[in-house]
Amino acid sequence: MKRHAGYKLLVVLLAAVMVFSMTGCAKETASPSAEASESSSLPESQPVQETAAAEPVTIEFWHNYSESDGQIAVLDELISKFEAENPGIKVEPVYMEWSALHDGVVAGATTGTLPDVLRGDIAFVPQFGDLDVLVDMGALPGYSDVAGGVLESANSTAYMNGSYYGIAANTNTKILYYNKTMLDAAKLSVPTTQEEMWKTAEALSGNGVYGFVEAWTGWWNVGPYIWSNGGDVLSADYSTATGYVNGEVAVATIQKLADLYAAKVLTGPTMDPGAVGDTDGWAAGTYAMEVDGPWRGTALDSAGIEYGAVTLPAGAAGSTSVLGGEDFMMFTSSSDAEKEAAWKFIQFMVGEEAQVAMSKVGQMPVNLAALKNDEALKAMPLLPVYVEALKTAKARPVIPEWSEIENIIATKVTEAITGVKKVQAAMDEAAEEINTVLAR
Amino acid sequence: MLALLLPGLAVIGMFTFYPIIKMFVMSFFDWNIGYNQTSEFVGLENYAAVFSDATAGVAVANTFYYMLLTVPLQMVIGLLVALLINGIKRLSVTFRLLYYLPVITSWVVVALLFRNIFSNQGLLNYLLTDVLHVTNDPIGWLSTRWPALTATGLLGIWKGIGWNMVIFLAALQAIPSEYYEAASIDGLNRTQQFFRITLPNIKGTILFALVMLVIGAFNTYTPIMVMTGGNPAHQTEVVLTWLYYQTFSVTGKMGYAAALSFFVTAIISVLAVLLFKVFSPQQEERKAR
Repeated sequence: MKRHAGYKLLVVLLAAVMVFSMTGCAKETASPSAEASESSSLPESQPVQETAAAEPVTIEFWHNYSESDGQIAVLDELISKFEAENPGIKVEPVYMEWSALHDGVVAGATTGTLPDVLRGDIAFVPQFGDLDVLVDMGALPGYSDVAGGVLESANSTAYMNGSYYGIAANTNTKILYYNKTMLDAAKLSVPTTQEEMWKTAEALSGNGVYGFVEAWTGWWNVGPYIWSNGGDVLSADYSTATGYVNGEVAVATIQKLADLYAAKVLTGPTMDPGAVGDTDGWAAGTYAMEVDGPWRGTALDSAGIEYGAVTLPAGAAGSTSVLGGEDFMMFTSSSDAEKEAAWKFIQFMVGEEAQVAMSKVGQMPVNLAALKNDEALKAMPLLPVYVEALKTAKARPVIPEWSEIENIIATKVTEAITGVKKVQAAMDEAAEEINTVLAR
Repeated sequence: MLALLLPGLAVIGMFTFYPIIKMFVMSFFDWNIGYNQTSEFVGLENYAAVFSDATAGVAVANTFYYMLLTVPLQMVIGLLVALLINGIKRLSVTFRLLYYLPVITSWVVVALLFRNIFSNQGLLNYLLTDVLHVTNDPIGWLSTRWPALTATGLLGIWKGIGWNMVIFLAALQAIPSEYYEAASIDGLNRTQQFFRITLPNIKGTILFALVMLVIGAFNTYTPIMVMTGGNPAHQTEVVLTWLYYQTFSVTGKMGYAAALSFFVTAIISVLAVLLFKVFSPQQEERKAR
């Protein structure tokens, strides 16, 4: 008898599970028709719509402006100013750190629980675009006018499939930071070529000091050296990696990095999990040089390190650094009224006033007028160096597969640098894996 | 009766059985998670991808290494501590508390501590280079695959001893003292008593601990994530860190991750069945009859 009851229980349980899974399916299939009925009933309910328009529209704004740099305080001021100018709109800012922002959209994409505006990494544009959740902003009224006032190279990071799926929020690129005290003590001059940079790093190394630190081994890190030597990651039409990522220039450049790693001149936590992180290492005087973005200056200031910075030392083909920064994005899950309000808010945020305000807390402007603004120049002493570097900086390929490709590069370059594999062999494998991803 | 069980069943059904079934379905799809995207049925492709993925192989091998290192040592040391505590009359609660402390501390906190012990500029290297002068060059404990995995394993052992101690102590205290009295009258010494009385009487507990620890070893995530992050080049990846990487760090290979988790479930199930076959107390009883 008892046994029988156990079976009964199991049957009930399974039935319950089936009901759950069926309701899950039913919901998924029901949603398009529900949307359709909503939109079809719209013309009849004209008066309702009018009252709705009179009510304030609230837009949710996900971002990762930094609290410690005072960016959130500035954002709050900017939002109240925007709300005062636009009485019908309320902006609800939600802070999330980088990975939460990414995972939040990935998870929200399943349910449509998404923000109206997001300010996040340029790398998000192709990734979220691939989830079919981004608004084609290039088609918005007045987009080309607004984009015309923005640094073109920075906005190229939002260009995908023949249109713009975002607009640049702020930009950055990487330049060479060096510990001035260490360079002076060793009576070394500031390097101007890649070769000199490696020689200087070698001269500074020893007794627990590493001349050079690299926080990761993706294209973000090794790309600028390879570009500057005339190499590339993919063919111009993004069809193949063969002959590029495993080409002569790329292999020779990575071989140099491998030699530096073996000689304990170069290190970093992804190559050696036992190595101290770059920020802690700079502060402890373990690391002497790094090619990095504007946040490095902020960190060095707070660590009390005396430093200098110059544009990326030139390789055989000049100095080509990599574009970073953030873009504003909008989502298809928003209503028309929310989209309209979101676009207004974004235009405000890329305007000169907001961009200058943000420059005072470490965000490099994309607004052309803000880049020449005296207040911005005063707030960011390195701005001229960056503006110079931005002239030749390049964006990484804006394709949905990019983050996967960059992860392949990071893995294979680490294998090559740490000597697990021969450089050519590792990069040949990288090319093969990348081609598989591109062929999908 | 059934009505009283329903709320609980509903919760288990919704949060345990439904996700498992849903994930099983996902493992046969190239699963796209966008709310207005469709997913394509790919049959066994995800399982084929798991078997042909070299890094998944590394991750499974690393997990087995972690299991073989941590499970026996945790149990042996845990049992030893339990025996010692069981033998003393004073301060037994104090010692129990001390050994149990690592169990209730946060994984992240102690993993960070262990990272700071084993890192290149960590405590261990400081002792070796600056205090004991054994070497001038700091040793890269976390820099390469096997030493790094061993360091994370040490953390697992240190943190697991207390749990084993509590489980074994309960089992030891359940053994009637008459057995030992009779044994000493028959002239058995301490060692003989341990092997003839203690061990046979806690066999059920050993099986329980073994199965739980094997499952636990396959679920290890935090020590690896904090101490090496799977670096360098995914060589210290374990199953769960690799699963997380494939799901969230790249472009969301949900189907692949679902297939990998079912593959791991299969491994754990086989191991559990094997352990039951070897250790099952019922079988012994049946034999005795």
